[in-house]
Amino acid sequence: MTECSRALAQLRAQDEEGYGGKSASLGELIAGGIPVPPGFAISTAAFDAFLAAQSLRERVEDVLAGLDADDVAAVARASAQVALLMRRTPVPDIVAAEVEHHYTALAAASHKRQPPVAVRSSARGEDSAEATFAGQQETYLWVRGTDGVCEAIRGCWISLYSPEAISYRARRAAGGGAPAMGVAVQLMVDAEVSGVMFTCSPLSGDPSVVAINASWGLGLGVVGGEVTPDDFLISKVSHEVLRATIADKQIEYVPDPGGRGTHRVAVAPERRTLACLDDTRLRALVETARAIERHFGSRQDVEWAIARTGEFPENLFVLQSRPVTATAQAGSQAVADRAGLDAMSLVLGTFGVKQRGQ
Amino acid sequence: MSTTSTSAFPSPLSIATPEGCEGWEEMYPYYALLGEDRRQADEERLWFWNSMHFPEPMSAFDVVAIDGPYYALANWQNRVFAIPPAMGIDYRIVNGYVFITPNAVTDPELIAERAAYFGARAGYYFANWDELYGRWREKMTKLIAQISDLAVPELPTYEDDDVAFEDRDTSFVRVLDAYNQALRMHEQMWQHHFEFLLLGYGAYLTFSDFCKSALPEIPDQHIAQMVSGIDVLLFRPDTELRRLARLAREAGIDSSFSDGRTPEEIVAELHQSEAGRDWLDALEAVKDPWFNMGSGDGFYHHHRSWLDDPSIPFSAIRGHIDALAEGRDTERPTEHLAAERNRLAQEYGALLDEQARGTFDELLGLSRTVFPYVEEHKFFCEYWFQSRFFNKIREFGALLATHGFLHDGEDVFQLSRHEVGEALEELCLTWAHGGPARGPHHWPPIVERRRALLERLKQWTPPPAMGTMPTEAINDPISVMLWGITPERLQSWASAMSGDSRTLTGAAASPGVAEGIARVVRDVHEITDVQPGEILVSTVTSPAWAPIFPKIRAAVTDIGGIMSHAAIVCREYGLPAVVGTGRATAEIRTGQRLRVDGTNGVVTLLDGEEPE
Repeated sequence: MTECSRALAQLRAQDEEGYGGKSASLGELIAGGIPVPPGFAISTAAFDAFLAAQSLRERVEDVLAGLDADDVAAVARASAQVALLMRRTPVPDIVAAEVEHHYTALAAASHKRQPPVAVRSSARGEDSAEATFAGQQETYLWVRGTDGVCEAIRGCWISLYSPEAISYRARRAAGGGAPAMGVAVQLMVDAEVSGVMFTCSPLSGDPSVVAINASWGLGLGVVGGEVTPDDFLISKVSHEVLRATIADKQIEYVPDPGGRGTHRVAVAPERRTLACLDDTRLRALVETARAIERHFGSRQDVEWAIARTGEFPENLFVLQSRPVTATAQAGSQAVADRAGLDAMSLVLGTFGVKQRGQ
Repeated sequence: MSTTSTSAFPSPLSIATPEGCEGWEEMYPYYALLGEDRRQADEERLWFWNSMHFPEPMSAFDVVAIDGPYYALANWQNRVFAIPPAMGIDYRIVNGYVFITPNAVTDPELIAERAAYFGARAGYYFANWDELYGRWREKMTKLIAQISDLAVPELPTYEDDDVAFEDRDTSFVRVLDAYNQALRMHEQMWQHHFEFLLLGYGAYLTFSDFCKSALPEIPDQHIAQMVSGIDVLLFRPDTELRRLARLAREAGIDSSFSDGRTPEEIVAELHQSEAGRDWLDALEAVKDPWFNMGSGDGFYHHHRSWLDDPSIPFSAIRGHIDALAEGRDTERPTEHLAAERNRLAQEYGALLDEQARGTFDELLGLSRTVFPYVEEHKFFCEYWFQSRFFNKIREFGALLATHGFLHDGEDVFQLSRHEVGEALEELCLTWAHGGPARGPHHWPPIVERRRALLERLKQWTPPPAMGTMPTEAINDPISVMLWGITPERLQSWASAMSGDSRTLTGAAASPGVAEGIARVVRDVHEITDVQPGEILVSTVTSPAWAPIFPKIRAAVTDIGGIMSHAAIVCREYGLPAVVGTGRATAEIRTGQRLRVDGTNGVVTLLDGEEPE
């Protein structure tokens, strides 16, 4: 029997194959004692089940057959056609039943009849370039009800066939078959402040600092680059704020007044140039960043949010974490230059006595 | 102007003599002065005002405290260790103030030649550091005993019998010899002073460079904290004062230290009670050696020791008693400092990979081995020896005054060391033959004129630098570490010289932000004026100022790097500090409101408060 879903807390790193990277990493975070909003994951097998119903897979393949990846208009037509086919195909009953089961549990846990959730695609593999081009970065915020969640899940699946994704895959591997993708569903954090942080300097790679970007409201603004966030550099060792640049934060995302989706609004003038994190919150974020880094044993790029309601620090949540791959390895050259030299030779070097390798 | 007109700093030869200070040059040796014969060479170099060691204009005798250290520094740096890229420090006196420049070696062949000497000689010192430093303390202690015990003979009407019957030297030989010995011991002291210092700085800089390449964001302060000693000799004198303050409170005699009393009045009252006498015994026990601490850095004759001028230790005891009465903790948090020092080292080390960790540990170990010398030599050299040396010169001054060559023994410091020798020679001659002496007519007017000159020169503020901005980075470890002379610093001095300066920048020496009222202190004697909660603005501070740090809210200095005294002490007390601003004492007036941002190295003069 195909496993279509599982609670996030039941996932671990090795479940990436079946659930995609984001869901597996959220499971790992929970295992590491990191505060993550509760939720569940939809497996890649659930997508396969969707494709298997009503010969959907064959009909999609028909649309894509012989497509010229460089013919922009043709790709756009094919993408729209696939989306239409998929939207006419309901989410398999077994998947919908499991969504209902998990969503009801979330509602009970959060004491809300229809708690808002975030629905995000969970790509397999860590190649973020592929994830981006393959359209595997879809996110639906403030989704409510089992039907709404199912629709959002299908939206994530459809995003695999965006024009960019179709031409990317067509160029990359002819006849590579249907892509695989999981989906993560979590209780929504109504963020007062949110942002991203690196467990090293994003520029120099220095591992002794945490770099935090933060802005008002939901995280879309920071992640999407729509707002210049406050920028903090904090020592992991002393928790001192080494640098703080407070930005003019003009917009923020808030929950739509209608109760579904999000809404972009102007930040009130008196809050625009206010630092959105104080020392206590910065310190808690640094501790969280260090705990995540320790758990994964590698440098991490972390999305976080602090909710409007609840007591700090219980209202601080980590929304996702992934390894940092693209920074400089701090001092690797400087350290390599000093390889095999004892302290004395290095001191002589300070006084201008050239050593081998220097 | 010459070829150096592009420089942001004035040509050394373009600096005018302040009004009424004409003839100031007579106080100084010919080689310390600027002149047409060296115009080109002097204009092409960058000279910066060494306000760290010489914040005031120099009296004629005090030139010994310029020559001594610069002979010794260059001799070790250039002729003993042959430090490959750096020879020594040259100086010029302009309007009574000392400007210095490091002499660099640029020829690669010469650098390579020097490297061979340096490697062998420095390697020997590093390898045998503890043993050599042990020997150093012995020879320094011996030298201090020698200068203290050096007898300055009186000139009697008739020589003692032992001269007549036992072949003892006659008085003229003994007077002139004693004077020459005093000068020689002073030179030896400076020789000892620099024996280890350059290597100590070098080891520290190596560790610092390594940290900055492996951990580019590491604050300088953390590097310093990992290396700095905890149980440092230099902190002992102040620790003893805190202990005495506690004793006074416990014995219930703290009311004797009430406001406005002189040390003499306090001591007189304490003599009246048994508890007071016990306390005075405790004070006596502390004096040797801790009251050899100085009130200044030993570069001026008026930097007296606590033994000679007890007003500083007594006012510090008073401050500590007040703090205890208010229930404030006056103890240096040594346990906390030690724990923090080890925690920082542990945590930074753990962030490095295995290979880098090994290098980190080794360099940290070496830095910690050499650093006690860097921190402790001052007590032996600048405070203990120098106060004894200047007191010995006072004895020669007293001898000259007794015979009418000077009105007062203290006037001796208005004569150069050579002039003092000359005066002593004439004194010996005329005392011996009984004929009329010229000295009593010759020297007093010179003394008067020079005193007036120095008073007027004190009103002048030197530029932070003069000459030409260097094209290459200064690579003399001592200039970088001690004076904080980096290209960025020079650039900020240059821009501060041209234009509006509501903000001053310097080295971020101790983190945090504080606002408060400025107290500008240009002279060590003014430190007792500092009121609780004020921001100290000074040319520089020295360990002798330790007693005022518990009072102040933040510190700003004209000169100094992150290992300078103000930086170290402020970090200990958790006070924000910005050092090396170049012009703080020139731009800021007592009473102005300031914001000191010690995290970013910025001092802001706040609006709405005008100078008094």
